[in-house]
Amino acid sequence: MFFLQDPPPDTSGYMIAGYIIAFFVMGIYVASLIIRWRNLNQDQQLLEELETERHKK
Amino acid sequence: MEKKPTALLVLDIVSLILLAASTYFALVFAPTEAVMGAVQRVFYFHVATAWVGMLGFIAAGVSGIVYLRTQNTKWDIIEFAAVEISLVFFFIAILLGSIWARPIWNTWWTWDPRLTTAAVTELIYIAYFMLRQGLEDPDRRARFGAVYTLVGAVSVPITFMAIRLFRTIHPVVIGNGDPNASGGFSMSGDMKVAFFFALFAFTVIFIDLFWNRIRLGRLQEKVEQLKLNISQ
Amino acid sequence: MTLQTSTTRQPIQSNFGKAVWAVVQKDLSAELRSRELLSAMLVFSLLVILIFNFALELDIQTRRSVTAGVLWATFAFAGTLGLNRSMAIEKDRGCLDGLLLTPVDRSAIYFGKVISNFAFMLIVEAFILPIYSVLYAINLFQPGLLLVILLGSIGYTAVGTLLSAMSVQTRTRDVMLPILLFPVVIPILIAAVKASGGYLTGAEFSEIAPWLNLLVVYDVIFTSLAFMVFDYVVEE
Repeated sequence: MFFLQDPPPDTSGYMIAGYIIAFFVMGIYVASLIIRWRNLNQDQQLLEELETERHKK
Repeated sequence: MEKKPTALLVLDIVSLILLAASTYFALVFAPTEAVMGAVQRVFYFHVATAWVGMLGFIAAGVSGIVYLRTQNTKWDIIEFAAVEISLVFFFIAILLGSIWARPIWNTWWTWDPRLTTAAVTELIYIAYFMLRQGLEDPDRRARFGAVYTLVGAVSVPITFMAIRLFRTIHPVVIGNGDPNASGGFSMSGDMKVAFFFALFAFTVIFIDLFWNRIRLGRLQEKVEQLKLNISQ
Repeated sequence: MTLQTSTTRQPIQSNFGKAVWAVVQKDLSAELRSRELLSAMLVFSLLVILIFNFALELDIQTRRSVTAGVLWATFAFAGTLGLNRSMAIEKDRGCLDGLLLTPVDRSAIYFGKVISNFAFMLIVEAFILPIYSVLYAINLFQPGLLLVILLGSIGYTAVGTLLSAMSVQTRTRDVMLPILLFPVVIPILIAAVKASGGYLTGAEFSEIAPWLNLLVVYDVIFTSLAFMVFDYVVEE
């Protein structure tokens, strides 16, 4: 009876959805880290400029 | 502008490579499971992301305790980073668990102890962020954050045990599936390779993200300090 | 036995005990006069029971199986109300700051608040039980059930008092407490509902025992934890 086993069901749609979601969420998170880093760097530069201008006065 | 340490750059690249490799192992190398088909492959990332969530959870709890004892803000930064990463990865794990459950048990949610506990942990994390947001004083923010992290860290394992006890006494019949099936399947050798490689890869990814996030937190602290200086 | 005056050299324990008792007395006597907390909690509980009655239109049989759940949902919501008001009163009237100026261990304040919050919760529960019994024709005055209510309320107020001390200092105040409290108090709710349900349906003690165990463990762990960290929550 062994050779009469059904092939595994085709659940590949779910698998693809799963991997897409996993990569998507991870990607969004990394993107948020990059964006936040850039924003903070800009803030830091701006604030340091203001600081040096204040000291000049 | 602080330059990224070379070690971290290397780690970034290594993490990406490991992620790609792990995907290959899970999607190509591992054999297709006989009963569930392709969707079983989701399991490798499901467990690996849950594992990262756990690492973050523990890191948060430990940092909370250390912050309370040392009052050194670097531990607060570490704690916040750990909670954030854990939140993201438990979220992925929960989604993957849901996707895995759907074709197998014909339901989007199983009140499985691990999945449910992960969901409760997510609620605790969200509460944590809301608590911090509602406080003006940074010192209070850090202290309360640490206290709540501690409360959460202690309550989550107890929650897990309670739900498990609940489930052993009352197995829940889910959809058309066998109520006693826990989605179990025996892993062949190749599957084990994919499984453990995923765990390894995601541990490295965790360390990489953690380090990056802590750096971000330090920069944030610097900027806030600069803002305070300017306003004086 | 010494002849020293009472202002010098008192053993630390009696100072602690006195401080705890002072806090409890303050809360209880204030409440006795105004009764604002208890009446709010009571009315709210009755409304919740009413809502559940319409939300879960049930026959007598099914009602018995949900009684435990409805009771504990009611206690949880009413409890939040009490905890919120109790801490808000402290903060608004500046009592908290006054208490903090006294040279006594912060944990005495914690225990004092827990005891008074616990007392308020018990009083409300004592009112709810007969009302519920009458409305639903179920006898709720069983020793087992009363024990569960006791144990559950202890854990709930132990954690709730700690968290309310934090939430009262946030911008969103009242809304913050349930968000913080409910996820963390889930083990109590699970165990209390299972144990209460067990007693109401006359289950074997061996089935109820693990839930009682869980309640006791939770109570012990969280009371000690809250006691240890309360300092961090009230320091300036």
